[in-house]
Amino acid sequence: MIRILLIAVLALGLAVLPWLLPAQGYALRVVCLVLLFAAMSQAWNIAAGLSGQISLGHAGFFGAGAYTSTLLLIHFNLSPWLGLIVAGLVGAALAALISLPTMKLKGHYFALATLAFGEAMRVIANSWTSVTGGPVGVSVPFAEPSLALMQFQSLRPYFYIMLAALIVTCIAFQRIRTSALGLRLRALKNHADAASSLGVDTAAAKLFASTVSGALIAMLGVLYAQFQFFFDPDTAFSLAGISIRIALIAIIGGVGTVSGPLLGALLILPIEEATNAYLSSHAAGLSQIVFGAILIAVVILQPRGLLHLWKSRRR
Amino acid sequence: MELLQAIINGLLIGGVYAVISIGLTLVFGVMSIVNFAQAEFLMIGMYVGYYCWRAFGLDPILGSLIAFGVAFLIGVLIQRFLIERVIDAPEVAQIFLTVGLLIVLENLALVLFGSDFKSVRTGYQTSALAFSGLIIGVPYLFAFAVSGVVGILLWAFLRFTWMGQAMRATAQNGVAALSLGINIRRVRQVAFGLGVGLTALGGSVILPYYTASPTAGAQFVVLMFTVVVLGGLGSVLGAVFGGLVVGVIQSVSTLVMPIQLQNLALFVVFIAMLAVRPQGLLSTR
Repeated sequence: MIRILLIAVLALGLAVLPWLLPAQGYALRVVCLVLLFAAMSQAWNIAAGLSGQISLGHAGFFGAGAYTSTLLLIHFNLSPWLGLIVAGLVGAALAALISLPTMKLKGHYFALATLAFGEAMRVIANSWTSVTGGPVGVSVPFAEPSLALMQFQSLRPYFYIMLAALIVTCIAFQRIRTSALGLRLRALKNHADAASSLGVDTAAAKLFASTVSGALIAMLGVLYAQFQFFFDPDTAFSLAGISIRIALIAIIGGVGTVSGPLLGALLILPIEEATNAYLSSHAAGLSQIVFGAILIAVVILQPRGLLHLWKSRRR
Repeated sequence: MELLQAIINGLLIGGVYAVISIGLTLVFGVMSIVNFAQAEFLMIGMYVGYYCWRAFGLDPILGSLIAFGVAFLIGVLIQRFLIERVIDAPEVAQIFLTVGLLIVLENLALVLFGSDFKSVRTGYQTSALAFSGLIIGVPYLFAFAVSGVVGILLWAFLRFTWMGQAMRATAQNGVAALSLGINIRRVRQVAFGLGVGLTALGGSVILPYYTASPTAGAQFVVLMFTVVVLGGLGSVLGAVFGGLVVGVIQSVSTLVMPIQLQNLALFVVFIAMLAVRPQGLLSTR
């Protein structure tokens, strides 16, 4: 009963939140980014958190999604809503493709291979100038605000889109985690050889998880493109800005848990925004130092995340 | 002729790649940790070399010794206070500790030294030797020679000194080394210091033909990993082989494709290598 009441209050709070903040203000922008990055981190969590295969290359799918829908919009005037579907397919195809050579790798080796994949995608986007426009980046063509083109003057519609995206990724994560597939993934995470000797098709389980994860994060790339209006290869395919950041968010909150990415995003993005606002006037790079220092502190103090810290204190 | 020239250029650069990557493989061999921040010490070495040149007029080749010392000290401290705490932690903690270090070091350099490119001027910078149509750049030759000397010194250290032998013993079996009275914590500190020191030394040595900037290290991350994976993670001799191979691949690839795609060729080789022979080309396993 209390649980239902809590959820109702939370839902009501989230529904009215954008109306309490200025429609084009900085605060609502940060809230949107928190939701988006929580969703991205959750999408990463589906592959990395459940199977234990730590990817450092999810920016490869993310950027591919952002570029797919934006280029389709520029050249064929395709609505970003349809671009979302195409981007999802592209993300899934890329994830399946990169899974082939990396499937058997574990731990450090998997992290290295995915890192190289993300960087390779960045190099391709930078040098394939005839398609991507190269290092100068691309802009979403400016249009009259409309739902069909996913373009709005107020930030409020973006808030609801990001919120919906976060809910979808959380449901996807939770459903996979509690399914038979989730059990298989957990088994192979704990002991891959034991799992496969008990008849778990580890290759198929990993392939499925990474394909879903890749598709979701590519679709989130579309939302990012529509929200930011402009991006270039070095931001959309960024190692530190995307791949590492979404992993950090999940790690801070707690890898492999549904609430980990939410907690992590709620904590990390406001800290980053605040350090950017207060410190960067003095020197560029200070906020990144804070970001890196948090990462180091968390893995040394509690590698299983803050959620675990809180739970173990309560016990 | 063009191909021969490209191979020679590749070997000269590859020798330096070998030295900067040996540290990575040494650290992995001794403590099974992949240091994602290793390439940042190349950047640190470049800045030490640059400031030694600017303040005292010291040639970057000599400055590389100071770069080695500075990085060694930083490395020992990092090992003692940070890495040592995750030696037995899950891999995810190890990965993200060094990834965090990468971000901190790169941005610390940005705050301290600014984002502009810094380069040194030496007398031999633009000189070259010509042998029957083949051209060998003097700075490349110097960097290669220093790398060769350093490689031999490292080999002698690992082969003949007590610490070097302790290091190899720890790499083979840490528990056995401990039970024989080897202070493996100290061995790990020296190994990490030595590893990042060698990378920093390489950073200073290449200054005559490479500019220093906060992101100079980031450009070498995948390259260094390709080198050590080609030779087999943990194998010092493998890193020498891998360095030369990567140098040649890079240099020859510019003959057939645009220079921006040079790194792409490396990434593809790297992923293919991981998929097919993650234990390295030289390994007999």
